[in-house]
Amino acid sequence: MKRFLPNSLIGQLLALVAFTLLIAQTINVVLLYRGAQNQKIAEAAVSAVGRITGEVERINDRGFRERRFPPDGNPRMRKSRPNISAQSMIETGQVRLPTVEGRAAVAFENMGVDLRAVEVARVDFLPTTMVNSVIGLGRGRERVHAVGYRDLSDKVDGYIIMSAQISDGQWLSIASAIRDRNPLFVRTLIFQTLVIYLILLIPLIWLGRYISRPLKALTKGARNFSPGNNDPIEESGPPDTRQLIAAFNDMNSRVGAMLDQKDVMLGAIGHDLRTPLAALRVRVESVEDDIERERMIAGIDDMDRTLDDILSLARLGRSQGMAEQTDISALIETVADEYTDMGEEVSFTRSGRITANIRATLIRRALRNLIGNAVKYGKQAAVSVDKDGDKLFIHIDDQGPGIPADTIAAMFEPFARAEISRNRETGGSGLGLTLARAIVRDHGGDVVLKNRAEGGLRASIILNLV
Amino acid sequence: MSGQTHILLVDDEATLREPLAEYLVKQGFRVQQASDASQARSVMNAFNFDIILLDIMMPGEDGLSFCRHVREKTETPVIFISAKGEELDRIVGLELGADDYVTKPFSPRELVARIKVVLRRAQNGNGNGIRPGSGSIYQFSGWTLKTDQRSLIDQEGVAVPLSSGEYQMLLALLSRAGQVLNRDQLLDITQGREAHAFDRAVDNQISRLRRKIEVDAKNPEIIKTVWGGGYVLAGAVKTL
Repeated sequence: MKRFLPNSLIGQLLALVAFTLLIAQTINVVLLYRGAQNQKIAEAAVSAVGRITGEVERINDRGFRERRFPPDGNPRMRKSRPNISAQSMIETGQVRLPTVEGRAAVAFENMGVDLRAVEVARVDFLPTTMVNSVIGLGRGRERVHAVGYRDLSDKVDGYIIMSAQISDGQWLSIASAIRDRNPLFVRTLIFQTLVIYLILLIPLIWLGRYISRPLKALTKGARNFSPGNNDPIEESGPPDTRQLIAAFNDMNSRVGAMLDQKDVMLGAIGHDLRTPLAALRVRVESVEDDIERERMIAGIDDMDRTLDDILSLARLGRSQGMAEQTDISALIETVADEYTDMGEEVSFTRSGRITANIRATLIRRALRNLIGNAVKYGKQAAVSVDKDGDKLFIHIDDQGPGIPADTIAAMFEPFARAEISRNRETGGSGLGLTLARAIVRDHGGDVVLKNRAEGGLRASIILNLV
Repeated sequence: MSGQTHILLVDDEATLREPLAEYLVKQGFRVQQASDASQARSVMNAFNFDIILLDIMMPGEDGLSFCRHVREKTETPVIFISAKGEELDRIVGLELGADDYVTKPFSPRELVARIKVVLRRAQNGNGNGIRPGSGSIYQFSGWTLKTDQRSLIDQEGVAVPLSSGEYQMLLALLSRAGQVLNRDQLLDITQGREAHAFDRAVDNQISRLRRKIEVDAKNPEIIKTVWGGGYVLAGAVKTL
């Protein structure tokens, strides 16, 4: 059921109004139909009353009932004479119309016709006994001029039979056809409904847009929220929407302020830790013992790298320059060359140009960390690029022992380190993998580690090309 | 230059400034210290300096603003000492006409090596060699090199990342397009961070550069080898 409902505010509003309107018009149709039905019966009854009154008056005038016209006479006249019988023509199974009976009795009385009883019933088909006493048939075309009676169809919607007992105890009966006065009215109503709906449509669409446009802008603003660039969303729409947007803008600027504050703090931390580190680095030069000095330098460098990683990780997500279309192959080559220059074994075979929309300095860093891990723990790094649909895979394969499958997820945790690391080297900050993944995720991609079947670990950077 | 090289060291942190000055003196330099920009100004009025080492983050007037002031008055080379490592800060620093930069913590030996490179460049009249004119853009053979962003962009607008060595090499060749540069000259112009650079390093950088920018690296059309001489950037270069 739910999936048939329109999703947008406008759609739901229009569907709701259409549905409500339909119900209202249906009720209207039912009421009008019933009214028209009663009207038709009343009309048929009036004709019947008139005819019976005429017959009674003729009988009273002459004291006897006229002979029938000969069979070759006017067929219309022949058919329209009331039937006279000892019993009422209303049979027990027929549907009596008490309201009409009451009104007919009042009408007869008003006209001074003295009757013992009046019975009225409605039948769908004319009983054979009444075929010569029918009125209201076949005269439609001649009554075209009265408003509402135009295009009267030949269709007959059943009959009423009226039996009236006159003073001598005999019954005069006449059948009167119920004529379909306005066969078009269902169509008229549908047309009417459509017109009302179309008229409503314009203000409804306007109203819907008035409400939904600022909401759409708000959704877009929330989705594209990036603390670096928080242009306030224009406050428009109904007052409660305006309040919502104002509250959102307010929150936006508060978040921005908090992040700015964080950046300032990180900058200060960076400065305040690096300056003493730099002082230490200068003083270390005066250490006479070469081995001791080199160790101290390595320690300081390590601290500096850790600091750098922590600051980068903390700053990530803050826009640092725009992403631009970049040649990924050239980027990988640049990083591979850096490691080759340091005497590491890194291979990369360039296979044509692959471009992606990235922030090159960050992705370069992720590559550096992953290739650095590969040469540190896996002796060498073989970098390859693979394209699958709109996804780009950069695989970095090493020749190391790999990582037990159950600890792979834990490797991405900050400060996690491979237990099985055989190297005695100081193992970097322990943030390299965390940072690499955070950077790639910030680009909408991911970093995945996998043990290769032929041995060694494969680290893959997955990036979206679109 | 008569005798000792005279260095002005401007840094508000005495814990760094003092041992650094001591180290530089040991290395045979004459060093004058200043703890902020205003002190540096007054010292500059009293002495002539061969080179200025300038901290960026200082209370009061910061290093960037002071560098601008120095540039307006003199041609004295400036090396920034910055605690910020962000790429953007480096670019801003070089934009202002600094000759080089080091980030804290730096190796004092590397700093000395850089001081020597900058001084040699200044003496050879190559002073503005590495110092980029404010935001110049070079266009050559369908490529665009923007010095303010250090980015190389191809005809389709795709950025091709360069290592800093490759960037320096390309910039050196571009700024002297049509002029044959031998390995020594190229080293002289480009040598900054890589203190271990030697002849083969130049060939190496050139071949990497060619792989990135030439249609066919085996038959280079942009960077041509001059046998026995060196390298030359062929074709028209437009500077914007």
